[in-house]
Amino acid sequence: MNHIPQHILEFLRDSAPFEVLDEHEMNRLAQSITVAYFSQEDAPNILKQQQGGLFLIYSGQYSVKDSAESERHLSDGDYFGCDNLWQKQSNKIAVTVDSPGLVYCIPKKSFAQCVSTHPSIGVFFRNYTSEQIYSDQVDDSKSMWLYKPISEVISDGIVSEDINSSILQGVQVMSKSGVSSLVITDNQLLVGILTDRDIRNRVVAQQTDVNLAVSEIMTRDPVKISDQRTLFDALCVMTEHNVHHLPVVDKSSGVPLGMLTASDMIRHQRGNVLFVINELTKAPSLYELTRLSWQLPHYFSKHAKRLGDFDIAGKVLSQATDIMTRKLIGFYQQQHGEAPMEFCWLVYGSQAREDQTMGSDQDNGLLFATEPNPEQSAYFADMAEYVCRGLDKCGIKLCTGNIMASNPALRMSIKQAVQQAQSWVREPSPEAILNCNIFLDVRAVAGNRFLLSQLHVERKELLKQSRFIAALTRHASDGHVPLSMFQKFVYKKGLPKKDCIDMKNSGVAIINNLVRIYSLANGLTMPSIPHRLEGLLSHAGLSSKDVKNLRDIWLFLNRLRWRHQIQNKVTDNYVSISDLSSIEKYQLKEAMRVIRRTQQAAVFKFAGGLG
Amino acid sequence: MFKKLKKWFAPKPPIPEAWLTMPLADIPFLCIDLELTSLDLNDTKILSIGWVEGQGKQISLQSCYYQVISTTASLNQSPVIHGLTADHIAQGQPLRIALEALRQFASSHVWVFHCTNLDMTVLNGVFKKLNIPLPTVVTLDTLRFGLYQLTKNLRPPPPNAVVLPVCRARYNLPAVPAHNALDDAMATLELLFAQIQKFAPKNTDTLKALVVTDALQVFPASTD
Repeated sequence: MNHIPQHILEFLRDSAPFEVLDEHEMNRLAQSITVAYFSQEDAPNILKQQQGGLFLIYSGQYSVKDSAESERHLSDGDYFGCDNLWQKQSNKIAVTVDSPGLVYCIPKKSFAQCVSTHPSIGVFFRNYTSEQIYSDQVDDSKSMWLYKPISEVISDGIVSEDINSSILQGVQVMSKSGVSSLVITDNQLLVGILTDRDIRNRVVAQQTDVNLAVSEIMTRDPVKISDQRTLFDALCVMTEHNVHHLPVVDKSSGVPLGMLTASDMIRHQRGNVLFVINELTKAPSLYELTRLSWQLPHYFSKHAKRLGDFDIAGKVLSQATDIMTRKLIGFYQQQHGEAPMEFCWLVYGSQAREDQTMGSDQDNGLLFATEPNPEQSAYFADMAEYVCRGLDKCGIKLCTGNIMASNPALRMSIKQAVQQAQSWVREPSPEAILNCNIFLDVRAVAGNRFLLSQLHVERKELLKQSRFIAALTRHASDGHVPLSMFQKFVYKKGLPKKDCIDMKNSGVAIINNLVRIYSLANGLTMPSIPHRLEGLLSHAGLSSKDVKNLRDIWLFLNRLRWRHQIQNKVTDNYVSISDLSSIEKYQLKEAMRVIRRTQQAAVFKFAGGLG
Repeated sequence: MFKKLKKWFAPKPPIPEAWLTMPLADIPFLCIDLELTSLDLNDTKILSIGWVEGQGKQISLQSCYYQVISTTASLNQSPVIHGLTADHIAQGQPLRIALEALRQFASSHVWVFHCTNLDMTVLNGVFKKLNIPLPTVVTLDTLRFGLYQLTKNLRPPPPNAVVLPVCRARYNLPAVPAHNALDDAMATLELLFAQIQKFAPKNTDTLKALVVTDALQVFPASTD
């Protein structure tokens, strides 16, 4: 067997997608390679001699134009000439050598040989210049179904019966359609449901006359869900309310559209992902709640095996925090009586967006219809203190920035909240913008949620003002992705390891900021990033390709930081590049490039090109 | 004493004209590296030999050659350095096979070493010992070449400035794991191309231009 220098084999093994080759195949590929010292003077000659091949950069920096796309700045680990692999006639490749170095030239023929045994290599290069590579893994993730809107899942044709029908008629319809539950309507609108269990307990067991109206035995005002929410939301509602049948209604008209059942969910889901949430919901005391909450990290490390499994981790954790909050408010009210006036418990930041990680601290506040009097104030101050401390005991750290309901400044009336928004818009100081980035991602978790809807309505137009959006955009473009001009990772000093990327501030947060800007400009108030992006699909501003890219990248970056936290048992976001596989490194680079481009596009659109 | 002086003052053997007028881009180079049991030239044995060809700033990996040599010599501390253990050595080939193969390149290629004198002294010794005639060889030393490019603006050179990894780093070449004969030969050839690029970027120069660097040497054919 021919020998190949070790460092060359190692480099090839580190280069996606050739890592899939076995030892023999790798040797055969390596033997066919020509290593060229690429300088400006030699480049034309080498490109001519190696025409039609694939070029892999081992060292040096080059500006390359090899396709219809614009010139790319490349360095070690990057490829060029990919488009020529599929064409009989080769495109001319123009290379400007910015710093000379070594380039591996892989002949077309041996490349074709690799593709014939490993088609995935071909797929990699077909998509290479179209920046779609990171999405491959996102799509095959088995947790993705949880992000599907319910409307995509429920089958056409709902089984329903009018409220004036008899029990017998209803049961016959169920039997004929082969379903275990029936939607009862009054004037087309949902008024109740009838399940197998109702028939067993309230008809057969009690020998009820089956000619009576179905309204006599149905479950009135059942828990329901809008078709615009996700399957995951449905799962949470079913778990929290302990129901097995969940009617789905049209978001605006309230007309029932279908029924989701527990067995529908089980069909989709392998393993009981939401076991912990179920347990939390049943916790009878603060002690028990705390004990269960501390199981969460173990739960994640036990159940999340593949990278895709982390897609729902942030959601699960946020939902769990929501439930802890509601339970704590409940415990407080058991001891101190009902609240003296209506309130709405708000959560901000990552909990609102449902992308919490193990390191996220609590961000919350209270909203009232009017300013409470001193006596009411005292009640809420005490309740907020109890809930925030309780969350802390459950492992959701107290907020170091004091963004908590226990801070009197964060217990506001709607009027005060609108005034606060006015002050942000009037004077978008750096501090105001930081506040916006936290407070404009908001979700109602307990109490009267209508108060938040009201606040949204009142400040919607205010926050659309272009001068304000421009200020937010300029701030969002200050965050730099950690890539050099030549697509090399740039590492900040002072991080725990030499090759760390701050996945939060250099990645996820930049996307969060950009998506928030587009959402404000389009008047979208929902906080979660996948929801916002979905909402933006139907609005001008971002193309559907941009939306899909951003969503995939956002999921990908979150997966990386979750895996980092779980595997290394830490709560920071400093992901070490050496922990990534070669394809992940590549995907991360591409992701960062797309983020940078989206930043530039936003500056152009909202800030008049002035970043 | 007189013999030694005579040797010093004797004109250096001239480099064949055909080589001197050849453009650098057209010259076939053969970069060779030896792993030795020790650096004591009177006692050392070749453990392995590796080489690779290059021309016009391009290296075809098909030309890579690597051979472990079977020897009965004591390995001393050398396994620590190049990782060759007694087991590897036992499976090696006789030195003669490698030398016969190497000999074919004597007239066709300029031989490249990082420290010509050491490796050529050893090679000349073993060719003679095994009675294999070696034609005249023209060599190019990347260590001296590097020293020339370094001391033009910096003298004396800093300590360690001429060892292969440090040399490569000066030309922005990536670090490679050293001390396998083939890896080192490859690393040396890459270094040579970087040096030539720095020395004569225009590509029109011939080998003659390199005379000034003191990196070229001629080893006349063995006469006996």
